[in-house]
Amino acid sequence: MRIAIALMLFGAAALSAAGSAAGRDAVSTKPAGHTVTMEATSFAPVVLTIRQGDSVTWVNKDPFPHTAASGAAGFGSPIILAGKSWTHTFEKKGEFDYVCTLHPTMKAKLRVK
Amino acid sequence: MRIAAIALFTVLAVATAAPAQSINDAQIAAIVVAANQVDIDAGELAAQKSTNSEVRKFAQTMVNDHTGVNKTATELVTKLKVTPQDNPTAQSLRKGGDENLAKLKSLSGAAFDKAYIDHEAAYHQQVLDALDKTLIPSAQNAELKALLVKVRPAFVAHLEHARQLQRSLSGN
Repeated sequence: MRIAIALMLFGAAALSAAGSAAGRDAVSTKPAGHTVTMEATSFAPVVLTIRQGDSVTWVNKDPFPHTAASGAAGFGSPIILAGKSWTHTFEKKGEFDYVCTLHPTMKAKLRVK
Repeated sequence: MRIAAIALFTVLAVATAAPAQSINDAQIAAIVVAANQVDIDAGELAAQKSTNSEVRKFAQTMVNDHTGVNKTATELVTKLKVTPQDNPTAQSLRKGGDENLAKLKSLSGAAFDKAYIDHEAAYHQQVLDALDKTLIPSAQNAELKALLVKVRPAFVAHLEHARQLQRSLSGN
């Protein structure tokens, strides 16, 4: 009887531990969404750190078009009109500088971990 | 080019030198609309006439950006029930813009590109000076002031872009 109870407790504890681990993994590996604002001819935040598989949405709050592009990172938005947005998912790790191709002073950095 | 630059400097120097309180929001609205329209007109001509793809791209950015700013400014002053009030600075801006267009229409090829880009660099520098010294400090309505502050970095970007093109066109 004592053995049976011990086995049941062990089994319950093991199941519970497995459940927590699975829960943690599910939370930590779920891709997240991030937002970069394009306003006053600047990106905000200027430096954004994300995880591999996350997506970033660029939202244009200026009254004129912008883009977000990086040759090194292999992404380039189409022209994002005033009030519009564009989303891209990042599968490649690295640290990438990107620019608005229409406004050479508009620069930012993306870190994909 | 030198005469056009001097005329432009004189026009914007008036706005720059004038005491802040002498320009009201209705006059600022008219100056903003005129300043943007002048650059839209030049940009439309250059986008159509230039044979240099980088100059055409820059010109189209000028058309898009200044059209967007004017649309937003017009919507704001409409909401604020401010009627743009014509004034000597706005009139001089339009006159200078017309003179620049007339000159550009007489040119072609590399001479056209150089004249257009040189004027754009000088124009944006003078507009920035006017924004910093007169238009932003004089704006009374908070939303109008905020709009001027928000679009200022675009003028900086345009100036830097024009200077890059000046270096590129001169082979440096």
